[in-house]
Amino acid sequence: MKFSYSWLTEHLKTNVHFEEIEKKLTSIGLEVEDIQDTGKAYQDFIVGQVLEEKKHPNADKLKLCKVDIGKEKVDVVCGAPNVEKGMKVVYAPVGSTIPVNQMKIKAAKIRGVESYGMMCSEYELGISNEHDGIIRLEEKETIGRPFSEIYGLNDIVIEIGITPNRQDCLGVKGIARDLASAGMGELLERKISKEKGSFKSPIKIEIQDNKICSAFAGRYFRNVKNTESPEWLKNKLKSIGLRPISALVDITNFVMYDENRPLHVYDADKINGKIIVRAANDGESFQALDEKDYHLKNGMCVIADEKKVLGLGGIMGGESTGCSTETKNVLLESALFDEINTAKTGRNLSILSDARYRFERGIDPNSTLKGIDLATQLILEICGGECSEVELAGNIKENKNEVSTSSSYISRRLGFEVSDKELISILSSLGIETSQTGDVIKCSIPSWRQDIHGEADISEEVIRIKGYENIPTSNIRLKSKINKNILNYAQKKLMKARHFIASIEYDELVTFSFTDSKNCEVFGDINNLKIVNPISEELDILRPNLLPNLLQAIKKNKNRNFDSFSIFEIGSQYRSTSPEDQLNVACGIKSGIKTEKSWKNMQTEFDIYDVKQDLTSLIDYLMPGNKKISVSNDCPSWYHPGRSGSIKINNSVIAGYFGELHPRVANQFKIKNKINIFELYLDELPNIEKKTTNKPVLNLSDFQIVTRDFAFVIDKKVKSEEVVTSAFKVDKELIRNVEIFDLFEDDSLGKDKKSIAIKVTLQSNEKTLADNDISEISSKIIESVEKSTSGTVRS
Amino acid sequence: MKDFRELETEIKKASDKFTNIESINEFRIKFLGKKGIISLEMKELASLSGDEIIASKTEELNSEELEKKLNSETLDITLSTSKSYGTIHPISQVIEEVITIFGDLDFFVAEGPEVETDYNNFTALNTSEHHPARQMHDTFYVETETDGMPNVLRTHTSPVQIRSMLKQKPPIRLIAPGKTFRCDNDQTHSPMFHQVEGLVIDQESNMSHLKGCLEIFLKTFFETDKLNMRFRPSHFPFTEPSAEVDIGYTKKGNQLIIGEGEDWLEILGCGMVHPNVLENVNINSNEYQGYAFGMGIERLAMLKYGISDLRTFFDSDLRWNKHYGFSPLNIPSIIGDLS
Repeated sequence: MKFSYSWLTEHLKTNVHFEEIEKKLTSIGLEVEDIQDTGKAYQDFIVGQVLEEKKHPNADKLKLCKVDIGKEKVDVVCGAPNVEKGMKVVYAPVGSTIPVNQMKIKAAKIRGVESYGMMCSEYELGISNEHDGIIRLEEKETIGRPFSEIYGLNDIVIEIGITPNRQDCLGVKGIARDLASAGMGELLERKISKEKGSFKSPIKIEIQDNKICSAFAGRYFRNVKNTESPEWLKNKLKSIGLRPISALVDITNFVMYDENRPLHVYDADKINGKIIVRAANDGESFQALDEKDYHLKNGMCVIADEKKVLGLGGIMGGESTGCSTETKNVLLESALFDEINTAKTGRNLSILSDARYRFERGIDPNSTLKGIDLATQLILEICGGECSEVELAGNIKENKNEVSTSSSYISRRLGFEVSDKELISILSSLGIETSQTGDVIKCSIPSWRQDIHGEADISEEVIRIKGYENIPTSNIRLKSKINKNILNYAQKKLMKARHFIASIEYDELVTFSFTDSKNCEVFGDINNLKIVNPISEELDILRPNLLPNLLQAIKKNKNRNFDSFSIFEIGSQYRSTSPEDQLNVACGIKSGIKTEKSWKNMQTEFDIYDVKQDLTSLIDYLMPGNKKISVSNDCPSWYHPGRSGSIKINNSVIAGYFGELHPRVANQFKIKNKINIFELYLDELPNIEKKTTNKPVLNLSDFQIVTRDFAFVIDKKVKSEEVVTSAFKVDKELIRNVEIFDLFEDDSLGKDKKSIAIKVTLQSNEKTLADNDISEISSKIIESVEKSTSGTVRS
Repeated sequence: MKDFRELETEIKKASDKFTNIESINEFRIKFLGKKGIISLEMKELASLSGDEIIASKTEELNSEELEKKLNSETLDITLSTSKSYGTIHPISQVIEEVITIFGDLDFFVAEGPEVETDYNNFTALNTSEHHPARQMHDTFYVETETDGMPNVLRTHTSPVQIRSMLKQKPPIRLIAPGKTFRCDNDQTHSPMFHQVEGLVIDQESNMSHLKGCLEIFLKTFFETDKLNMRFRPSHFPFTEPSAEVDIGYTKKGNQLIIGEGEDWLEILGCGMVHPNVLENVNINSNEYQGYAFGMGIERLAMLKYGISDLRTFFDSDLRWNKHYGFSPLNIPSIIGDLS
């Protein structure tokens, strides 16, 4: 909401310095967003008159002018096509700054001729986009007069943010009233003459649906002249960025910004019969003042005559009854439209208008007739003519809210003592009448404050006027704990995972929760992930997986010369757009060079064993203690089928995957490198609620450790894990570890065979193992491995 | 030591002189007694060994050899190999800092889903269907529905208040960090961003506690003793009174100094929980009251760590991540960097 300081002082008698008013506005909740001292910006510009105008000797398009600026006559070189002798112009002297580009005017030679100052267009002054020529002022203007006076720019323009509850401050008067309540001066009442009207309005008004419009006041004016508005009115509107149109329209705009009272004027000669306020029917349409056609839906509030729709109540008038300079007879409307219906209709048709903005926030019902009176006074004064009696359909209900409160409630909520006396005094400054019975203070809320419904609202009014800076500061530390845990196990799991993964060289990324459906078919059913109103086509679904955005990130970083990287994200992916279908996933990617070739190392590249190790050690970290991790080949379709595995913990559900990105998917994302991925479904890791802080009992054996190596020739197809587990199971007590230390394939072994060598570590808890113990267990190991792998031991 | 031949001769001589038993006894004492010559000689003989010499000589030779070896074993210590850690994203870091600070004040961490019901995101928070405040939220809608209303991507973390209060009776102290979404994308807006919500409900928490709470938080977070903090009235449908909080700052060159100065930066929104919200979750608003606050994680991160552009957080530019990211070992704690 924009207003000028001079406009404010029409409603507020004050001797408080402006800077203090500015601070107060923010401190009572009318946040000052911008202040422009236009007087300052335009202080150097004055009225001049062109005395002579002749061609520039060296340039066809330039003219040499002699300009009378009062105290002297100056030479100015001018390029405007419309400059002519005798013209009154806006003159910018040497030293002034042109608002539109902040250029400082200097005395200069232009094509060899001295020029002092400049004649300005509206564009250059930052007033409008008009830059075809310089401003032609009226001939009666006095030479030397400050330009800012003529355009009413000698002012301060203030822009404040109005929160949705403060509809009362959408008019300058309301702002003045709030400032007066906060001790910034005295609210002035505008003197409005109350015309009775000399005849009955020929246009009757009928409200068919009083739920969508509770009251409609109309007044007929005949023989008006819809001229240009007088300077004071035009300047007022211009000062807050509105474009003057014609007197009738400007008057309604003025009343809206002054009293927060939207009005509308109809060209009465274009109305057929009576005015009918009714709900629209499906399929009706009309052309609004913005020259667009709107198709209406059942229930929208329309103003119609006996033939057609004239306007959308509370939102926008129609083109067909708009006022022009030809308009002679008009109907003035001041009505009360339903807030919710207005909001719905406006949203449905996507119409933003000043009227809608106000009606959906709620309008003071008492402004209905006041608005008619103020507009009548201005119309008669500016446009002449005669007015009818006011025709009122429906009821103007005052619906005054009553709220009971007490100083103890207010004090308890605000955190400091507010006495009855102080409470009542603050409320009365706001126009809230009170009556006290015992501790209870009954408040009668004025009609302009539609936002005050309960005691909590009263507490806000009190602290708003008293000042938020007067709230004391209290300690919030508690004597005893109220929460057992700050983070639960599942939450800690996520954070631990994050730190662990970053500690093994991955950089954490945070990418959008939405992604491009076109890239996601491989990740499963995307039909139930759609966003109805996406920000762009490329972000049209919730991500079914973390990978698509990470792959996009890889592509971007390749363009930034990152060929090798380790990245990860921990976040949610979605099974559907139902609230419960969200999963926590950690996804890591390693690709490119693992160790650079250097004076010390050979170059190595990341492969799936790196991500497998990262995944299993991550699981180990998150789930310490005994568990069975098993790997199998059943990976989803975005993995290379031969180079990927899924991981199960304790034979339950799959907790994660690792492997190489399927070449087809890589191709889709235009990625050429091998992409090694792990995914861990964090919700699938069991949450371990700690029962004790004690660690498990530690049993150490002091007897000698023995190791024995075995090599087996087995079929290529047999998984190496089979060798390990079949060796392990021979004696779970004696065998402490089984490790593969060599693996090779060679034709000499036989077709499709491979050799696997394992190191078995043996230790007893009871004795030093004797040779015969060791050879006994060795043969058992050989027997077991041979049996389960159909392989043979190599000797 | 005696010459053994001499001793032999001496013994012979003495034995030749054996004349009586007494002389034999004398002989025994002299030569064979505990302190006799032979016994002493035997002792001396026992103590006689080459070990010492061998030991000292070996050590000498060993250290010579080691010296030689060391001289031949010099490495160029100016060469190096690299070991790198990954990085923690600033958003994660700041969320962990926020949790740590509020955890110390006995707030627990609550959660809710990113797809929310219209009821939890708006209606229960005293924002009815046509409330003008809804328009300020630029909501993303999805195709699923709950109770006839389309579900939304939560526009703020406040619905976690509703979920938590339905589960838990007062006293309540919680924070809820998480992702939030608004249909807005320009220089200063991202369609996804992060917030942290705070909620305290008990029998006495009031505006002065809210002020106290935020003061401790902001001072600890920005690691400053000085903090100019300004509360100014605002409006959120779910709090009454509502306030926006600004903190003072000055600029030294390109650096923002938080806490000092007369220029104000908006940092968060807060207020006393609206009685209607409490009634919506079946908490008696005559008995219980409390406050709530919400702030943007990116904004906190930008101010504290001097990150200038909101949109870079989600741009996945590894140069940015490596520059602004944090060491995984730097977990906010007394031992970590949070003072």
